[in-house]
Amino acid sequence: MAADVKPFVGSKAKPHQESEAEELRKEHLMLDPMPRDEMNQMVMEAMTTTTPKFWAWVIGLALAVAVLLFGTWGYMIASGMGVAGIRRPVFWGIFIVTFVFWIGISHAGTFVSAILRVFKAEFRRPFTRAAELMTTFGLAAGALYPLIHLGRVWVFYWMIPYPNARWLWPNFRSALVWDFLAITTYLLSSTIYLFLPLIPDMAMARDRSTGWRHILYKTLSLGWRGTEAEWFRLRKAISIFAIAIIPVMFSVHTIVSWDFAVSMVAGWQSTIFGPYFIIGAILSGVSAVVTILYILRSTMKHMDYFIRKEHFDALGKLILIFSMAWAYFFFNEYILAWYGGDAALKQIITLHAVGPSAWVWYTMLICNVAIPWLFLWSKKVRRTPWLMFIITLLVNVGMYAERYTIIPLTLGHQRSPFDWGIYNPTIVEVSIALGTLCLFILLYLLASRIIPLVPVWEVQEGQMSHTLRKIGKTEIPSVTDLE
Amino acid sequence: METNVRMILFKEDQVDQASNAIETLHHHGISDKDISVISGVPFSEKILGRPMSWTRVPQIAIAGAFFGFVIASILNFFVPHLYKLSVGGMPLTPIPTSIVVTFELTMLGLLISTFLGVFIEMLSPSFGPKGYHPKISDGYIGILFECPSNTDEETCFELQDLGAEIVDVEEVKQP
Repeated sequence: MAADVKPFVGSKAKPHQESEAEELRKEHLMLDPMPRDEMNQMVMEAMTTTTPKFWAWVIGLALAVAVLLFGTWGYMIASGMGVAGIRRPVFWGIFIVTFVFWIGISHAGTFVSAILRVFKAEFRRPFTRAAELMTTFGLAAGALYPLIHLGRVWVFYWMIPYPNARWLWPNFRSALVWDFLAITTYLLSSTIYLFLPLIPDMAMARDRSTGWRHILYKTLSLGWRGTEAEWFRLRKAISIFAIAIIPVMFSVHTIVSWDFAVSMVAGWQSTIFGPYFIIGAILSGVSAVVTILYILRSTMKHMDYFIRKEHFDALGKLILIFSMAWAYFFFNEYILAWYGGDAALKQIITLHAVGPSAWVWYTMLICNVAIPWLFLWSKKVRRTPWLMFIITLLVNVGMYAERYTIIPLTLGHQRSPFDWGIYNPTIVEVSIALGTLCLFILLYLLASRIIPLVPVWEVQEGQMSHTLRKIGKTEIPSVTDLE
Repeated sequence: METNVRMILFKEDQVDQASNAIETLHHHGISDKDISVISGVPFSEKILGRPMSWTRVPQIAIAGAFFGFVIASILNFFVPHLYKLSVGGMPLTPIPTSIVVTFELTMLGLLISTFLGVFIEMLSPSFGPKGYHPKISDGYIGILFECPSNTDEETCFELQDLGAEIVDVEEVKQP
């Protein structure tokens, strides 16, 4: 007797499985695909929508840049460096502190984009460009400081190696010339690295714009059509960049650290200053990425679709790891100075902890170690964007305090007690530092309305390679390597 | 023989149909050099059954790195002899400090030439049928092909059966 056997058609999803899948889609951008034309539309709207509030910010920031940065700098050029607070024994003050701060901030763009790209970390896709943009503008703000600090800025070109009429060449044995070369290399390469993956998105914007925008995007998209050959060479170039820019990134901050470490100054001459600076830079940079993502998500149209809690969560974990790594390097540096018994060093670390500026040192430790360690363990905190915004802002306050501790607070108490002094920044220095912050925000604001901040093609590529796969009784996200 | 340049479009989720369409074109005697695939996201050649593309970007990048290395070597080891400055017993051309300048300029050469390689190849004349449609940046997969006039209609019908959208010839333009 033939049995009445029904063909197997697969088990039907139960209601709780459907809700689980729905939850996963809500959670992960890569599992929540949207038709490309809608995504394009969203990115274009985010880019072209400006409110009166936006323009008020632009005008306010432009005025602040004109007055605080260029006005005050002009005043300093006209009056001389005496209007700054740097004088014997502290010759490096706020200018160099802020310079190191901006170079540090610029690290995360490349770190987030290049390292996560090389290791195929999928969560990177929607925010790589926002991070890369931060690198370019952070470097632009930071690169002003060697010029500002130079005093006689009009002779800046003496740093450039070219066969001038007097056959005078820069001293290639100087860490300051290395700095110039490293920052130039990093600025150029990170700008190109920002531009390369932007080409297909410029073509997308070209197809959807008119007037000056169309002309701009048409020019910048270099005639992009999306042929196989174009994609092939673009991917090849991005791969070369992603790998080659990582050692360049490490070299830049190592060289910045050598500005200090190659000197004979107590507290500066240290063999671990290179990695210590790099870890600090990545900590402050990744934190700045989170700060910016929160602002973009809260102020730009449709950004809540692209930037989700999963991204804050993932970056929060990175910040926690780098905070621990930073604490390790700090302790390593501290214990050797304390245990080594060098009188000058001992005096410096004692003054850091109990001197008149001890609050700076404690601010550094609280913001860089205590706050991340206390809060970022919690998944709930990592997934609360406004809390992450506050924590990451505080981390950067802490990182600024770290640079302040290393530079003027260390320089003020060197080997000869008769030559000790306390550095008090003047309004000119504070104004210029605030001016570069305004410049950074202004450039970012303007770029956010000109450049598609989300790499749409990368997001779509990611969404195509992600799916929910049923294993056993549940569905789990799985990724296919399409490359 | 007279030929027509045609363009067909597939939606982003019709990758299988697009690869079948390329196979159909091959059956009609249209060779790979007469076919161009354009898309809004990168698809590897293997997915669509196409021959490997070529690029000279890596070679240009290596040439650029070498150029940067040569410039760095000139700055490190030749330039100091033009105007000798002896500083506190330090050698005129020390190797350890030269490594920094060499590294930076070599990497600068590598990265700039990679970009120049992309730039030059993008602006160079390309092989295969030309044309573009704005729907490509909406995620569509476009297949451009040169087809003999006498089999044009038959080929188009077959491609339509596969789900292709035939683009009006006048709509196929350069971007």
